[in-house]
Amino acid sequence: MEDVEVQVLDPETEFLASKRETGNEWELFKENVRPLKRGRNVSVLNDALKAHTQNQLKKSLLEERRRLIEAIDEYQGDDPLHPWIQCVKWIQEAFPSAGDSSGLVLIYEQCVRTFWHSDRYKDDFRYLKVWLEYADNCIDAQIIYTFLDANDIGKTHAAYYIAYALHLESKSKMKAANEILNLGISRSAQPIEKLRDAYKKFLLRSMKMQNANNNEDSMENNNASVRSFGTVLAGEENRRQTTENSNLAKKLLKPEQVQRAPLSVYNDRNVDTIGQNSKLKTNFNPWQTLGTRAERNKENNSIPAKWTSYKVPQRPGPRAGGSTTQGACIQVFVDEECSESKTGTETESGRTSSLQLREMDGKNIKKETELLRENPLRNFPSKSLPR
Amino acid sequence: MVSRTVAKDIITLRGSAAIVSEFFGYAANSILYNRGVYPEESFVKVKKYGLPMLLTQDDGVKSFISNLNAQLSEWLEAGKLQRVVLVIMSKATGEVLERWNFSIETDNEVVEKGVSREKSDKEIMREIQAIMRQIASSITYLPCLDEPCVFDVLAYTDKDVAVPFTWIESDAKLIANPQMVKLHSFDTKIHKVDTLVSYKNDDEWEEQ
Repeated sequence: MEDVEVQVLDPETEFLASKRETGNEWELFKENVRPLKRGRNVSVLNDALKAHTQNQLKKSLLEERRRLIEAIDEYQGDDPLHPWIQCVKWIQEAFPSAGDSSGLVLIYEQCVRTFWHSDRYKDDFRYLKVWLEYADNCIDAQIIYTFLDANDIGKTHAAYYIAYALHLESKSKMKAANEILNLGISRSAQPIEKLRDAYKKFLLRSMKMQNANNNEDSMENNNASVRSFGTVLAGEENRRQTTENSNLAKKLLKPEQVQRAPLSVYNDRNVDTIGQNSKLKTNFNPWQTLGTRAERNKENNSIPAKWTSYKVPQRPGPRAGGSTTQGACIQVFVDEECSESKTGTETESGRTSSLQLREMDGKNIKKETELLRENPLRNFPSKSLPR
Repeated sequence: MVSRTVAKDIITLRGSAAIVSEFFGYAANSILYNRGVYPEESFVKVKKYGLPMLLTQDDGVKSFISNLNAQLSEWLEAGKLQRVVLVIMSKATGEVLERWNFSIETDNEVVEKGVSREKSDKEIMREIQAIMRQIASSITYLPCLDEPCVFDVLAYTDKDVAVPFTWIESDAKLIANPQMVKLHSFDTKIHKVDTLVSYKNDDEWEEQ
Protein backbone atom coordinates (compact mmCIF):
# COMPACT_ATOMS: atom_id res chain seq x y z
CA MET A 1 0.00 0.00 0.00
CA GLU A 2 1.21 3.45 -0.73
CA ASP A 3 0.74 6.46 1.47
CA VAL A 4 0.47 10.19 0.99
CA GLU A 5 1.39 12.77 3.58
CA VAL A 6 2.74 16.24 4.01
CA GLN A 7 5.21 16.90 6.80
CA VAL A 8 6.85 19.91 8.25
CA LEU A 9 9.84 19.43 10.52
CA ASP A 10 11.20 15.99 11.15
CA PRO A 11 14.82 15.12 11.86
CA GLU A 12 15.48 14.17 8.28
CA THR A 13 14.15 17.34 6.73
CA GLU A 14 16.04 19.29 9.29
CA PHE A 15 19.22 17.44 8.48
CA LEU A 16 18.82 18.05 4.78
CA ALA A 17 17.94 21.68 5.28
CA SER A 18 20.98 22.24 7.42
CA LYS A 19 23.11 21.35 4.42
CA ARG A 20 25.39 19.36 6.72
CA GLU A 21 27.48 17.04 4.73
CA THR A 22 28.41 13.58 5.80
CA GLY A 23 32.04 12.83 5.16
CA ASN A 24 32.92 10.36 2.47
CA GLU A 25 35.57 8.38 4.24
CA TRP A 26 33.19 5.53 4.92
CA GLU A 27 32.75 4.98 1.22
CA LEU A 28 36.35 5.55 0.22
CA PHE A 29 37.71 3.11 2.77
CA LYS A 30 34.87 0.66 2.95
CA GLU A 31 37.10 -2.34 2.42
CA ASN A 32 38.76 -1.63 5.73
CA VAL A 33 35.61 -1.62 7.74
CA ARG A 34 34.28 -4.69 9.42
CA PRO A 35 30.51 -4.36 9.60
CA LEU A 36 28.90 -4.50 13.00
CA LYS A 37 25.59 -6.15 13.59
CA ARG A 38 24.31 -3.12 15.39
CA GLY A 39 25.50 -0.78 12.65
CA ARG A 40 27.95 2.04 13.10
CA ASN A 41 27.85 5.68 13.86
CA VAL A 42 29.02 7.20 10.62
CA SER A 43 30.73 10.25 12.04
CA VAL A 44 32.73 8.12 14.50
CA LEU A 45 33.55 5.82 11.61
CA ASN A 46 34.69 8.64 9.41
CA ASP A 47 36.93 10.00 12.13
CA ALA A 48 38.39 6.58 12.77
CA LEU A 49 39.15 6.18 9.10
CA LYS A 50 40.68 9.62 8.90
CA ALA A 51 42.93 8.72 11.78
CA HIS A 52 44.93 6.58 9.43
CA THR A 53 46.42 9.62 7.81
CA GLN A 54 45.98 12.26 10.45
CA ASN A 55 48.28 11.85 13.39
CA GLN A 56 46.39 14.17 15.62
CA LEU A 57 43.30 12.05 15.30
CA LYS A 58 45.30 8.89 15.77
CA LYS A 59 46.81 10.19 18.98
CA SER A 60 43.45 11.15 20.32
CA LEU A 61 42.08 7.71 19.48
CA LEU A 62 44.84 6.06 21.45
CA GLU A 63 44.28 8.50 24.26
CA GLU A 64 40.61 7.63 24.36
CA ARG A 65 41.38 3.95 24.43
CA ARG A 66 43.76 4.46 27.31
CA ARG A 67 41.16 6.48 29.13
CA LEU A 68 38.54 3.77 28.76
CA ILE A 69 40.94 1.16 30.02
CA GLU A 70 41.75 3.31 33.02
CA ALA A 71 38.04 3.68 33.63
CA ILE A 72 37.87 -0.07 34.02
CA ASP A 73 40.39 0.05 36.83
CA GLU A 74 38.93 3.08 38.50
CA TYR A 75 35.30 2.00 38.37
CA GLN A 76 33.61 2.27 41.73
CA GLY A 77 30.04 1.41 40.93
CA ASP A 78 28.20 -1.82 41.44
CA ASP A 79 28.40 -3.16 37.92
CA PRO A 80 32.05 -3.79 37.17
CA LEU A 81 31.24 -5.29 33.80
CA HIS A 82 29.89 -1.99 32.56
CA PRO A 83 33.18 -0.15 31.87
CA TRP A 84 34.47 -3.22 30.05
CA ILE A 85 31.45 -3.17 27.75
CA GLN A 86 31.89 0.55 27.13
CA CYS A 87 35.48 -0.09 26.20
CA VAL A 88 34.63 -2.95 23.86
CA LYS A 89 31.93 -0.99 22.09
CA TRP A 90 34.20 1.95 21.63
CA ILE A 91 37.09 -0.08 20.27
CA GLN A 92 34.73 -1.71 17.79
CA GLU A 93 33.68 1.68 16.50
CA ALA A 94 37.05 3.37 16.63
CA PHE A 95 39.06 0.60 15.05
CA PRO A 96 36.72 -0.36 12.27
CA SER A 97 38.99 -2.86 10.63
CA ALA A 98 39.12 -4.81 13.89
CA GLY A 99 42.58 -5.86 12.91
CA ASP A 100 45.09 -7.58 15.09
CA SER A 101 46.54 -4.29 16.29
CA SER A 102 43.29 -2.92 17.58
CA GLY A 103 43.53 -4.78 20.84
CA LEU A 104 39.96 -5.95 20.46
CA VAL A 105 40.74 -9.63 20.90
CA LEU A 106 42.85 -8.83 23.92
CA ILE A 107 40.15 -6.91 25.60
CA TYR A 108 37.61 -9.65 24.93
CA GLU A 109 39.98 -12.13 26.48
CA GLN A 110 40.77 -10.08 29.54
CA CYS A 111 37.16 -9.26 30.10
CA VAL A 112 36.00 -12.84 29.99
CA ARG A 113 38.89 -13.96 32.12
CA THR A 114 38.13 -11.35 34.75
CA PHE A 115 34.61 -12.57 35.33
CA TRP A 116 34.52 -16.21 34.41
CA HIS A 117 34.16 -17.40 37.99
CA SER A 118 31.67 -14.72 38.94
CA ASP A 119 28.17 -15.99 39.63
CA ARG A 120 26.75 -12.58 39.09
CA TYR A 121 27.42 -12.49 35.39
CA LYS A 122 26.68 -16.07 34.53
CA ASP A 123 23.36 -15.09 33.06
CA ASP A 124 24.28 -11.61 32.00
CA PHE A 125 23.59 -11.14 28.32
CA ARG A 126 26.38 -8.63 27.85
CA TYR A 127 28.91 -10.98 29.35
CA LEU A 128 27.76 -13.77 27.07
CA LYS A 129 28.07 -11.45 24.10
CA VAL A 130 31.69 -10.75 24.89
CA TRP A 131 32.34 -14.49 24.95
CA LEU A 132 30.50 -14.97 21.65
CA GLU A 133 32.37 -12.15 19.97
CA TYR A 134 35.60 -13.59 21.29
CA ALA A 135 34.61 -16.95 19.84
CA ASP A 136 33.97 -15.33 16.47
CA ASN A 137 37.53 -14.15 16.44
CA CYS A 138 39.09 -17.51 17.15
CA ILE A 139 40.22 -20.11 14.75
CA ASP A 140 38.45 -22.92 16.53
CA ALA A 141 35.91 -21.76 19.05
CA GLN A 142 34.92 -25.25 20.16
CA ILE A 143 36.82 -24.97 23.37
CA ILE A 144 35.04 -21.75 24.21
CA TYR A 145 31.60 -23.27 23.79
CA THR A 146 32.62 -26.27 25.85
CA PHE A 147 33.94 -23.94 28.51
CA LEU A 148 30.72 -21.96 28.60
CA ASP A 149 28.73 -25.13 28.89
CA ALA A 150 30.89 -26.53 31.67
CA ASN A 151 30.63 -23.30 33.62
CA ASP A 152 26.92 -22.69 33.04
CA ILE A 153 27.57 -19.37 31.40
CA GLY A 154 24.84 -17.93 29.22
CA LYS A 155 22.66 -21.01 29.28
CA THR A 156 19.47 -19.01 29.63
CA HIS A 157 20.08 -17.10 26.41
CA ALA A 158 19.04 -18.20 22.96
CA ALA A 159 22.09 -16.49 21.52
CA TYR A 160 24.39 -19.07 23.10
CA TYR A 161 22.65 -22.03 21.49
CA ILE A 162 22.31 -20.31 18.15
CA ALA A 163 25.98 -19.42 18.01
CA TYR A 164 27.10 -22.84 19.18
CA ALA A 165 24.86 -24.61 16.69
CA LEU A 166 26.14 -22.45 13.85
CA HIS A 167 29.66 -23.30 14.86
CA LEU A 168 28.89 -27.01 14.82
CA GLU A 169 27.06 -26.65 11.54
CA SER A 170 30.09 -25.03 10.00
CA LYS A 171 31.99 -28.18 10.86
CA SER A 172 29.22 -30.31 9.36
CA LYS A 173 28.29 -31.70 12.74
CA MET A 174 24.63 -31.58 11.95
CA LYS A 175 23.46 -33.98 14.61
CA ALA A 176 25.29 -32.13 17.33
CA ALA A 177 23.96 -28.81 16.10
CA ASN A 178 20.48 -30.27 16.13
CA GLU A 179 20.95 -31.44 19.71
CA ILE A 180 22.21 -28.09 20.86
CA LEU A 181 19.27 -26.20 19.41
CA ASN A 182 16.87 -28.65 20.95
CA LEU A 183 18.65 -28.35 24.26
CA GLY A 184 18.16 -24.62 24.17
CA ILE A 185 14.49 -25.00 23.35
CA SER A 186 13.96 -27.50 26.11
CA ARG A 187 15.60 -25.09 28.52
CA SER A 188 13.31 -22.28 27.32
CA ALA A 189 16.22 -20.04 26.52
CA GLN A 190 15.14 -16.48 25.78
CA PRO A 191 14.04 -15.07 23.45
CA ILE A 192 12.45 -18.41 22.62
CA GLU A 193 10.96 -17.24 19.33
CA LYS A 194 14.36 -16.37 17.99
CA LEU A 195 15.62 -19.79 18.95
CA ARG A 196 12.70 -21.57 17.33
CA ASP A 197 13.15 -19.49 14.23
CA ALA A 198 16.83 -20.33 14.07
CA TYR A 199 15.98 -23.99 14.48
CA LYS A 200 13.52 -23.89 11.59
CA LYS A 201 16.08 -22.29 9.35
CA PHE A 202 18.66 -24.83 10.42
CA LEU A 203 16.31 -27.67 9.50
CA LEU A 204 15.68 -26.14 6.11
CA ARG A 205 19.37 -25.86 5.45
CA SER A 206 20.13 -29.37 6.54
CA MET A 207 17.32 -30.71 4.39
CA LYS A 208 18.64 -28.87 1.40
CA MET A 209 22.04 -30.24 2.09
CA GLN A 210 20.71 -33.74 2.41
CA ASN A 211 18.75 -33.50 -0.82
CA ALA A 212 21.72 -32.22 -2.67
CA ASN A 213 23.89 -34.97 -1.27
CA ASN A 214 21.46 -37.63 -2.28
CA ASN A 215 21.67 -36.65 -5.90
CA GLU A 216 23.81 -38.81 -8.13
CA ASP A 217 24.75 -35.66 -9.98
CA SER A 218 28.26 -34.40 -10.30
CA MET A 219 30.14 -31.90 -8.22
CA GLU A 220 28.28 -29.13 -9.98
CA ASN A 221 25.07 -29.87 -8.24
CA ASN A 222 26.76 -30.19 -4.94
CA ASN A 223 28.63 -27.00 -5.52
CA ALA A 224 25.36 -25.24 -6.04
CA SER A 225 24.04 -26.50 -2.75
CA VAL A 226 27.30 -25.61 -1.09
CA ARG A 227 27.09 -22.12 -2.45
CA SER A 228 23.53 -21.56 -1.39
CA PHE A 229 24.35 -23.09 1.95
CA GLY A 230 27.01 -20.49 2.40
CA THR A 231 24.70 -17.74 1.28
CA VAL A 232 21.81 -18.73 3.48
CA LEU A 233 24.03 -19.15 6.47
CA ALA A 234 25.59 -15.79 5.87
CA GLY A 235 22.16 -14.23 5.61
CA GLU A 236 21.24 -15.83 8.84
CA GLU A 237 24.20 -14.82 10.89
CA ASN A 238 25.62 -11.82 9.26
CA ARG A 239 25.46 -11.51 5.57
CA ARG A 240 28.51 -9.35 5.54
CA GLN A 241 30.88 -11.53 7.46
CA THR A 242 32.58 -12.51 4.32
CA THR A 243 35.54 -14.10 6.05
CA GLU A 244 33.29 -16.44 7.87
CA ASN A 245 31.38 -17.06 4.67
CA SER A 246 34.41 -18.02 2.67
CA ASN A 247 35.65 -20.15 5.52
CA LEU A 248 32.35 -21.94 5.56
CA ALA A 249 32.41 -22.41 1.82
CA LYS A 250 35.89 -23.81 2.03
CA LYS A 251 35.08 -26.10 4.88
CA LEU A 252 32.01 -27.39 3.16
CA LEU A 253 33.52 -27.94 -0.24
CA LYS A 254 35.89 -30.61 0.93
CA PRO A 255 33.20 -32.88 2.33
CA GLU A 256 31.64 -32.86 -1.11
CA GLN A 257 34.82 -34.08 -2.68
CA VAL A 258 35.18 -36.91 -0.27
CA GLN A 259 31.66 -37.85 -1.12
CA ARG A 260 32.81 -39.13 -4.44
CA ALA A 261 34.04 -42.02 -2.46
CA PRO A 262 30.95 -44.06 -1.64
CA LEU A 263 30.09 -42.33 1.59
CA SER A 264 27.36 -39.77 1.94
CA VAL A 265 28.01 -36.87 4.23
CA TYR A 266 25.32 -37.98 6.60
CA ASN A 267 27.18 -41.08 7.57
CA ASP A 268 28.55 -39.15 10.42
CA ARG A 269 32.10 -40.27 10.58
CA ASN A 270 32.75 -37.62 13.16
CA VAL A 271 31.53 -38.70 16.50
CA ASP A 272 28.87 -36.17 17.16
CA THR A 273 29.48 -35.79 20.82
CA ILE A 274 29.93 -32.28 21.92
CA GLY A 275 33.39 -31.23 22.83
CA GLN A 276 35.40 -34.05 21.45
CA ASN A 277 38.00 -32.00 19.85
CA SER A 278 40.42 -34.78 19.26
CA LYS A 279 38.08 -36.42 16.79
CA LEU A 280 38.82 -33.61 14.46
CA LYS A 281 42.02 -35.13 13.36
CA THR A 282 40.49 -38.43 12.39
CA ASN A 283 37.78 -37.03 10.17
CA PHE A 284 37.87 -35.79 6.65
CA ASN A 285 37.98 -32.21 7.76
CA PRO A 286 40.28 -30.63 5.26
CA TRP A 287 42.05 -28.46 7.70
CA GLN A 288 44.47 -31.01 8.96
CA THR A 289 46.28 -28.17 10.58
CA LEU A 290 43.18 -27.47 12.61
CA GLY A 291 43.38 -30.88 14.12
CA THR A 292 47.00 -30.42 14.87
CA ARG A 293 46.36 -27.09 16.46
CA ALA A 294 43.67 -28.59 18.60
CA GLU A 295 46.17 -31.08 19.83
CA ARG A 296 48.71 -28.42 20.54
CA ASN A 297 46.07 -26.43 22.34
CA LYS A 298 45.40 -29.30 24.67
CA GLU A 299 49.01 -29.42 25.73
CA ASN A 300 49.18 -25.72 26.24
CA ASN A 301 46.03 -25.71 28.28
CA SER A 302 47.46 -27.90 30.94
CA ILE A 303 50.37 -25.59 31.49
CA PRO A 304 48.97 -22.14 31.01
CA ALA A 305 51.35 -19.26 30.76
CA LYS A 306 50.48 -16.57 33.21
CA TRP A 307 50.27 -13.19 31.68
CA THR A 308 52.97 -11.76 33.92
CA SER A 309 55.62 -14.17 32.80
CA TYR A 310 55.39 -12.90 29.29
CA LYS A 311 58.13 -10.37 29.12
CA VAL A 312 57.34 -7.35 27.08
CA PRO A 313 60.53 -5.87 25.70
CA GLN A 314 60.27 -2.18 26.35
CA ARG A 315 61.32 0.19 23.69
CA PRO A 316 62.67 3.28 25.43
CA GLY A 317 61.32 6.67 24.57
CA PRO A 318 58.45 7.63 22.36
CA ARG A 319 58.58 6.71 18.75
CA ALA A 320 58.54 9.39 16.12
CA GLY A 321 54.96 10.35 15.66
CA GLY A 322 55.06 10.58 11.92
CA SER A 323 56.39 7.18 11.05
CA THR A 324 53.82 4.64 10.32
CA THR A 325 54.12 1.01 9.37
CA GLN A 326 57.64 0.44 10.50
CA GLY A 327 57.01 -2.96 11.99
CA ALA A 328 57.45 -6.14 10.05
CA CYS A 329 53.73 -6.66 10.14
CA ILE A 330 51.76 -4.53 7.77
CA GLN A 331 48.56 -3.40 9.30
CA VAL A 332 46.82 -1.27 6.77
CA PHE A 333 44.89 0.84 9.10
CA VAL A 334 45.65 1.23 12.65
CA ASP A 335 49.10 1.31 13.97
CA GLU A 336 49.78 2.13 17.55
CA GLU A 337 53.20 3.65 17.75
CA CYS A 338 52.73 5.55 20.96
CA SER A 339 54.62 3.40 23.36
CA GLU A 340 53.02 3.68 26.72
CA SER A 341 55.38 3.74 29.64
CA LYS A 342 55.43 0.85 32.03
CA THR A 343 53.46 1.38 35.18
CA GLY A 344 56.02 -0.57 37.10
CA THR A 345 53.72 -2.95 38.92
CA GLU A 346 54.14 -6.67 38.72
CA THR A 347 50.66 -7.94 38.25
CA GLU A 348 48.62 -11.06 38.69
CA SER A 349 45.97 -11.91 36.21
CA GLY A 350 42.66 -10.42 37.15
CA ARG A 351 41.75 -6.85 37.86
CA THR A 352 45.07 -5.32 37.10
CA SER A 353 45.39 -7.13 33.82
CA SER A 354 44.03 -4.09 32.12
CA LEU A 355 47.29 -2.34 32.94
CA GLN A 356 49.04 -4.83 30.79
CA LEU A 357 46.81 -3.89 27.91
CA ARG A 358 48.01 -0.36 28.27
CA GLU A 359 51.62 -1.34 28.29
CA MET A 360 51.45 -3.12 25.04
CA ASP A 361 52.78 -1.56 21.97
CA GLY A 362 51.53 -2.28 18.51
CA LYS A 363 53.65 -5.29 17.77
CA ASN A 364 52.91 -7.08 21.00
CA ILE A 365 49.21 -6.54 20.68
CA LYS A 366 49.40 -8.25 17.34
CA LYS A 367 51.45 -11.13 18.62
CA GLU A 368 49.25 -11.76 21.60
CA THR A 369 46.15 -11.50 19.45
CA GLU A 370 47.48 -14.18 17.14
CA LEU A 371 48.29 -16.43 20.06
CA LEU A 372 44.84 -15.96 21.50
CA ARG A 373 43.14 -16.66 18.21
CA GLU A 374 44.79 -20.02 18.14
CA ASN A 375 44.40 -20.84 21.76
CA PRO A 376 41.67 -18.73 23.32
CA LEU A 377 41.93 -20.08 26.84
CA ARG A 378 45.68 -20.06 27.10
CA ASN A 379 45.74 -17.63 29.98
CA PHE A 380 43.14 -19.39 32.03
CA PRO A 381 44.18 -21.31 35.13
CA SER A 382 44.33 -24.99 34.36
CA LYS A 383 41.80 -25.98 36.97
CA SER A 384 39.12 -23.98 35.21
CA LEU A 385 39.43 -25.77 31.92
CA PRO A 386 36.95 -28.38 30.82
CA ARG A 387 38.34 -31.86 30.63
CA MET B 1 38.53 13.83 -20.35
CA VAL B 2 38.37 17.57 -20.64
CA SER B 3 36.73 19.28 -23.54
CA ARG B 4 36.04 22.89 -24.21
CA THR B 5 32.55 22.43 -25.36
CA VAL B 6 30.51 20.27 -23.08
CA ALA B 7 27.83 18.60 -25.08
CA LYS B 8 24.62 19.38 -23.33
CA ASP B 9 21.33 17.72 -23.91
CA ILE B 10 17.95 19.30 -23.77
CA ILE B 11 15.93 18.24 -20.79
CA THR B 12 12.22 18.69 -20.76
CA LEU B 13 9.93 18.49 -17.78
CA ARG B 14 8.61 15.20 -18.96
CA GLY B 15 12.06 13.87 -19.63
CA SER B 16 13.27 14.90 -16.24
CA ALA B 17 10.28 13.33 -14.55
CA ALA B 18 11.02 10.13 -16.38
CA ILE B 19 14.65 10.18 -15.29
CA VAL B 20 13.74 10.71 -11.66
CA SER B 21 11.04 8.09 -11.48
CA GLU B 22 13.21 5.60 -13.29
CA PHE B 23 16.00 6.37 -10.85
CA PHE B 24 13.67 5.70 -7.99
CA GLY B 25 12.66 2.34 -9.43
CA TYR B 26 16.26 1.18 -9.72
CA ALA B 27 17.21 2.62 -6.36
CA ALA B 28 14.30 0.84 -4.70
CA ASN B 29 15.32 -2.45 -6.28
CA SER B 30 18.89 -1.93 -5.20
CA ILE B 31 17.85 -1.21 -1.64
CA LEU B 32 15.58 -4.25 -1.48
CA TYR B 33 18.40 -6.39 -2.75
CA ASN B 34 21.22 -5.00 -0.64
CA ARG B 35 19.24 -4.95 2.56
CA GLY B 36 18.01 -8.45 2.05
CA VAL B 37 14.32 -7.58 2.11
CA TYR B 38 13.84 -10.14 -0.62
CA PRO B 39 16.12 -13.11 -1.26
CA GLU B 40 19.05 -12.67 -3.59
CA GLU B 41 17.85 -15.38 -5.92
CA SER B 42 14.75 -13.39 -6.76
CA PHE B 43 16.77 -10.70 -8.50
CA VAL B 44 18.22 -10.55 -11.97
CA LYS B 45 21.14 -8.49 -13.17
CA VAL B 46 20.76 -5.83 -15.82
CA LYS B 47 22.97 -3.05 -17.05
CA LYS B 48 21.96 0.45 -16.22
CA TYR B 49 23.78 3.68 -15.44
CA GLY B 50 26.96 1.87 -16.47
CA LEU B 51 26.60 -0.47 -13.52
CA PRO B 52 25.27 -3.95 -12.98
CA MET B 53 21.91 -3.26 -11.38
CA LEU B 54 19.61 -5.79 -9.83
CA LEU B 55 15.93 -5.97 -10.58
CA THR B 56 13.39 -8.10 -8.79
CA GLN B 57 11.63 -10.90 -10.58
CA ASP B 58 8.88 -11.04 -8.01
CA ASP B 59 5.69 -10.12 -9.87
CA GLY B 60 4.08 -8.45 -6.93
CA VAL B 61 7.03 -6.20 -6.27
CA LYS B 62 7.55 -5.51 -9.95
CA SER B 63 4.03 -4.30 -10.51
CA PHE B 64 4.05 -2.34 -7.28
CA ILE B 65 7.14 -0.46 -8.36
CA SER B 66 5.98 0.16 -11.90
CA ASN B 67 2.65 1.53 -10.72
CA LEU B 68 4.57 3.65 -8.28
CA ASN B 69 6.78 5.00 -11.03
CA ALA B 70 3.84 5.95 -13.15
CA GLN B 71 2.31 7.88 -10.28
CA LEU B 72 5.58 9.54 -9.36
CA SER B 73 6.10 10.64 -12.96
CA GLU B 74 2.72 12.25 -12.95
CA TRP B 75 3.39 14.14 -9.77
CA LEU B 76 6.84 15.13 -10.90
CA GLU B 77 5.53 16.58 -14.12
CA ALA B 78 3.06 18.60 -12.15
CA GLY B 79 5.87 19.72 -9.87
CA LYS B 80 3.96 18.45 -6.88
CA LEU B 81 6.26 15.81 -5.50
CA GLN B 82 8.40 16.83 -2.55
CA ARG B 83 9.75 13.60 -1.22
CA VAL B 84 9.67 9.88 -1.69
CA VAL B 85 10.62 7.63 1.18
CA LEU B 86 11.21 3.91 1.11
CA VAL B 87 10.54 2.56 4.56
CA ILE B 88 11.82 -0.78 5.79
CA MET B 89 9.93 -2.31 8.69
CA SER B 90 10.16 -5.41 10.77
CA LYS B 91 7.65 -7.95 9.54
CA ALA B 92 6.96 -9.22 13.02
CA THR B 93 6.57 -5.96 14.90
CA GLY B 94 6.00 -3.34 12.20
CA GLU B 95 8.73 -1.24 13.74
CA VAL B 96 10.45 1.11 11.30
CA LEU B 97 14.08 0.11 11.02
CA GLU B 98 15.34 2.12 8.10
CA ARG B 99 14.23 4.99 5.90
CA TRP B 100 15.63 5.88 2.50
CA ASN B 101 14.64 9.43 1.90
CA PHE B 102 14.73 11.01 -1.54
CA SER B 103 13.97 14.72 -1.40
CA ILE B 104 13.03 16.55 -4.54
CA GLU B 105 13.40 20.21 -5.39
CA THR B 106 11.58 21.23 -8.50
CA ASP B 107 12.36 24.22 -10.65
CA ASN B 108 8.94 25.78 -10.68
CA GLU B 109 9.67 28.04 -13.58
CA VAL B 110 9.87 25.02 -15.78
CA VAL B 111 6.58 23.72 -14.52
CA GLU B 112 4.82 26.99 -14.95
CA LYS B 113 6.26 28.13 -18.21
CA GLY B 114 7.06 24.87 -19.90
CA VAL B 115 10.64 25.83 -20.74
CA SER B 116 13.36 23.28 -20.95
CA ARG B 117 16.84 23.11 -19.58
CA GLU B 118 20.19 21.85 -20.72
CA LYS B 119 22.49 19.42 -19.09
CA SER B 120 24.66 16.63 -20.33
CA ASP B 121 22.93 13.27 -20.01
CA LYS B 122 26.25 11.70 -19.24
CA GLU B 123 26.73 14.05 -16.35
CA ILE B 124 23.37 13.10 -14.90
CA MET B 125 24.14 9.46 -15.34
CA ARG B 126 27.44 9.88 -13.55
CA GLU B 127 25.71 11.53 -10.63
CA ILE B 128 23.15 8.76 -10.41
CA GLN B 129 25.90 6.19 -10.65
CA ALA B 130 27.61 7.70 -7.63
CA ILE B 131 24.43 7.42 -5.61
CA MET B 132 23.86 3.80 -6.63
CA ARG B 133 27.39 2.94 -5.61
CA GLN B 134 26.84 4.52 -2.24
CA ILE B 135 23.63 2.61 -1.69
CA ALA B 136 25.44 -0.64 -2.31
CA SER B 137 28.30 0.35 -0.03
CA SER B 138 26.06 1.40 2.80
CA ILE B 139 26.23 -1.99 4.40
CA THR B 140 29.48 -0.64 5.81
CA TYR B 141 27.61 1.17 8.52
CA LEU B 142 24.00 0.02 8.42
CA PRO B 143 22.83 -2.35 11.11
CA CYS B 144 22.27 -5.94 10.21
CA LEU B 145 18.64 -6.69 9.40
CA ASP B 146 18.50 -10.23 10.57
CA GLU B 147 14.77 -10.57 10.79
CA PRO B 148 12.23 -10.75 7.97
CA CYS B 149 11.37 -7.25 6.77
CA VAL B 150 8.77 -5.61 4.62
CA PHE B 151 8.89 -2.30 2.81
CA ASP B 152 6.54 0.49 2.03
CA VAL B 153 6.73 3.71 0.06
CA LEU B 154 5.65 7.10 1.31
CA ALA B 155 5.21 10.07 -0.98
CA TYR B 156 5.17 13.61 0.28
CA THR B 157 3.28 15.91 -2.04
CA ASP B 158 1.83 19.38 -2.11
CA LYS B 159 -1.27 19.80 -0.03
CA ASP B 160 -3.51 20.33 -2.97
CA VAL B 161 -2.91 16.91 -4.44
CA ALA B 162 -5.80 14.50 -4.32
CA VAL B 163 -5.03 11.11 -2.88
CA PRO B 164 -5.02 8.62 -5.73
CA PHE B 165 -7.22 5.60 -5.60
CA THR B 166 -4.66 3.02 -4.57
CA TRP B 167 -2.95 5.19 -1.99
CA ILE B 168 -3.92 6.04 1.56
CA GLU B 169 -2.97 8.81 3.91
CA SER B 170 -0.58 7.80 6.59
CA ASP B 171 1.56 8.98 9.39
CA ALA B 172 5.17 9.73 8.65
CA LYS B 173 6.59 6.48 10.05
CA LEU B 174 9.59 8.20 11.50
CA ILE B 175 12.40 6.66 13.46
CA ALA B 176 13.00 8.04 16.91
CA ASN B 177 16.56 9.35 17.40
CA PRO B 178 17.80 8.17 14.06
CA GLN B 179 21.32 8.01 12.80
CA MET B 180 21.36 9.86 9.50
CA VAL B 181 23.74 9.76 6.60
CA LYS B 182 23.55 12.03 3.65
CA LEU B 183 24.47 10.48 0.33
CA HIS B 184 25.18 12.15 -3.00
CA SER B 185 22.60 14.08 -4.96
CA PHE B 186 21.78 14.39 -8.60
CA ASP B 187 20.32 17.24 -10.54
CA THR B 188 18.61 17.31 -13.91
CA LYS B 189 18.38 21.09 -13.70
CA ILE B 190 14.66 20.64 -13.41
CA HIS B 191 14.51 18.27 -10.48
CA LYS B 192 17.19 18.04 -7.84
CA VAL B 193 17.18 14.86 -5.79
CA ASP B 194 18.88 14.59 -2.40
CA THR B 195 19.38 11.22 -0.84
CA LEU B 196 19.44 10.45 2.86
CA VAL B 197 19.31 7.24 4.81
CA SER B 198 18.25 7.14 8.41
CA TYR B 199 18.40 4.13 10.64
CA LYS B 200 17.83 3.02 14.17
CA ASN B 201 20.57 3.21 16.72
CA ASP B 202 20.24 -0.34 17.80
CA ASP B 203 21.96 -1.57 20.91
CA GLU B 204 22.70 -5.22 20.42
CA TRP B 205 24.31 -5.37 23.85
CA GLU B 206 21.00 -5.19 25.64
CA GLU B 207 18.75 -8.20 25.75
CA GLN B 208 16.22 -8.22 22.90
